[in-house]
Amino acid sequence: MNHVTSETFDQNAKAALADVQLRGALRNATSLFGRRRLAAATSLDNWEDLRSQARAIKDDVLLHLDRYLEQFVANAESRGARFHWARDAAEANAIICSLASERGARIIVKSKSMTTEETHLNDALEAADIQVVETDLGEYIIQLAEETPSHIIAPAIHKTKHQIAELFTQELGMSPTDDIAKLTSTARSTLRDRFAAADIGISGVNFGIAETGTILIVENEGNIRLTTSLPRVHIAVMGIEKLVPRFADLDIFLKLLPRSGTGQRLTTYQSFITGTKTNPESEGPEELHIVMLDNGRSRMLANPVTRQSLACIRCGACLNACPVYQQIGGHAYGSVYPGPIGAVITPQLMGLEKTQQLPYASSLCGACREVCPVKIDIPRLLLHLRSEITENSSPSVTQVKKRTSERVAFKVWRMTMTRPWLYKLSAKLGRVFQIVVVKDGKIGEVKGIARVATPLTAWTGGRDLRPIERRSFRELWRASLGKN
Amino acid sequence: MHTRTNNRAAREAIFESIRSHLASSEHLNAREEAIKHKTATPSASVSEALTESTSIVDSFKASLEAVDGHCLVVHDERELVHAVDDIMRELRQTKLSSLRIAISDGPDVQRLVDLLDTDLDEVGVTPSRSDVFRFDIGISRAQAGIAETGTLLLDSSRERHRLVSLVPPVHIAILDASAIVATLSEALTLLRRDEQVSPIVTLVTGPSRTADIELTLAIGVHGPQELYVVIRS
Repeated sequence: MNHVTSETFDQNAKAALADVQLRGALRNATSLFGRRRLAAATSLDNWEDLRSQARAIKDDVLLHLDRYLEQFVANAESRGARFHWARDAAEANAIICSLASERGARIIVKSKSMTTEETHLNDALEAADIQVVETDLGEYIIQLAEETPSHIIAPAIHKTKHQIAELFTQELGMSPTDDIAKLTSTARSTLRDRFAAADIGISGVNFGIAETGTILIVENEGNIRLTTSLPRVHIAVMGIEKLVPRFADLDIFLKLLPRSGTGQRLTTYQSFITGTKTNPESEGPEELHIVMLDNGRSRMLANPVTRQSLACIRCGACLNACPVYQQIGGHAYGSVYPGPIGAVITPQLMGLEKTQQLPYASSLCGACREVCPVKIDIPRLLLHLRSEITENSSPSVTQVKKRTSERVAFKVWRMTMTRPWLYKLSAKLGRVFQIVVVKDGKIGEVKGIARVATPLTAWTGGRDLRPIERRSFRELWRASLGKN
Repeated sequence: MHTRTNNRAAREAIFESIRSHLASSEHLNAREEAIKHKTATPSASVSEALTESTSIVDSFKASLEAVDGHCLVVHDERELVHAVDDIMRELRQTKLSSLRIAISDGPDVQRLVDLLDTDLDEVGVTPSRSDVFRFDIGISRAQAGIAETGTLLLDSSRERHRLVSLVPPVHIAILDASAIVATLSEALTLLRRDEQVSPIVTLVTGPSRTADIELTLAIGVHGPQELYVVIRS
């Protein structure tokens, strides 16, 4: 596996920007998803109401999470589900590995689950000598290629059909073709063998329903139904925050989630699973194990600003809307959760020390907040995390110097902007002194003054600045404009 | 090894963490705008479409066809048998080289298959998980339908159709027009109506699909490639 880390976000982003094929694929994907989402949202006349209601439900759940968890667990246990509690990723993986080894499992089929990506479950299972097969088509492709997902709902959007065809020819012995239908049917028939042979199926969970103890999993392909119907044992892994109080609440979330994710009115399949089968003769697994993962989530409850990150339903709409994600894709974030929501969740899950650059991976334009189906104020969260980085981390000497010069710079800026005479004077001076840096009518990369004005070089490293005009608007106005 | 005591300790630690962090947020919550405790009000109003059964069937059909499903409407058993015979003939001519049929134990499904004119290569009743993979067509009933989305509701505690509706490349479902509700919200109410929610309920809207390769739609990746719904009105 090539593990890209969040620590090197700036370099990752630069590498992604240089990848022409990746940027073409991202442009297609994000604009298509964006258009479909908009069309699907506007097809309902109460979209804004639904968003507000969904958020109110999630706020209620999070504020009383202990009570809803108790209710959910009691109801599911009374129907035969068994619960396992994991404080962190390692504990979750250990639980699943020991469930598997106790049952002598050799082959595990898995449907897409962001939570198990978060815990790197596959690595743990492989280390325990258990074969684990991803069955979502996109996840299967990236597992074969030994890569990581680049988008929450389309994990392999960074790959072309030619690359996938090459991969299938090499790994599966498929005769060369670029036909997507053929590629899909090759994956279908290869994975059927795995489904038939699997001892355990592992899935994620989209919603847990407190009043009945039901888990709901949504999908389009059918691999989740196969994963949860064929093997004798089903293990579902869920974050502790994924609850809704009532069955009826799903009406709202099932309207928001598919429309926000793929622009569908409803995904092809919804599986409502409540405990184990009541009749031993029935089809389906004999055991249902639900692994409840904390891994930093309960910490986020401590502040209403951070708490809202737990309302996320993993639709991916903010990725598609984000001008930064649109250019660099998911891998650059160095985490399973990319895009705007990743930039706020990853630092909270993994700690700010290793993810300092992520909260800055945004222009704060607010597009993510506009599209979020549960109205998470991501820009506010980003600012909150940025202020935590500057206030709480123990800075190095150079950082202290940088911070001091930043403070001085902002003080000078404020003085200038609040005093018209000083503003006019500095504009005049700027006009004179800018000749040093203006080249071909623009301010490009200012290498010469790098030592004295680092923030300026950082800005012009990627962009051209317009020089100050020869005459200001006020001067033009006085000279002629105002006289007409 | 993750022992039982370990599990209890982890559970207690997580609950303790939830409670203490929530408690420490109280003074901050006050500063935030008052958090509304709006509860979801399921739209209790039974839609007008319900009273007019013809329009609800039309609406179901249109919604299903919009997601690449096939929908036929019949009025009696004779028409039903004809319709299924037609489907078989078409499949035989187009994509299937054999007609091995897996059927559920739903009411009248066996009877329907007995009445078919088509020569069938094999009929298996609720085949097991090791046996089900070789069948070409699965036939079952659906317990309800949702008109606004063209969705089937399969309650697998009432009929053994979990595998026959999923594994074979073609699924034919028989749905009573009277079992179609107008909205998703009504279907959710239906699911909640019984004392105990069924252990496994699946909502199915059209054939299996994916767009994981270059965002190009491909039908029938893991579930059925063709879905036929025959509505009996």
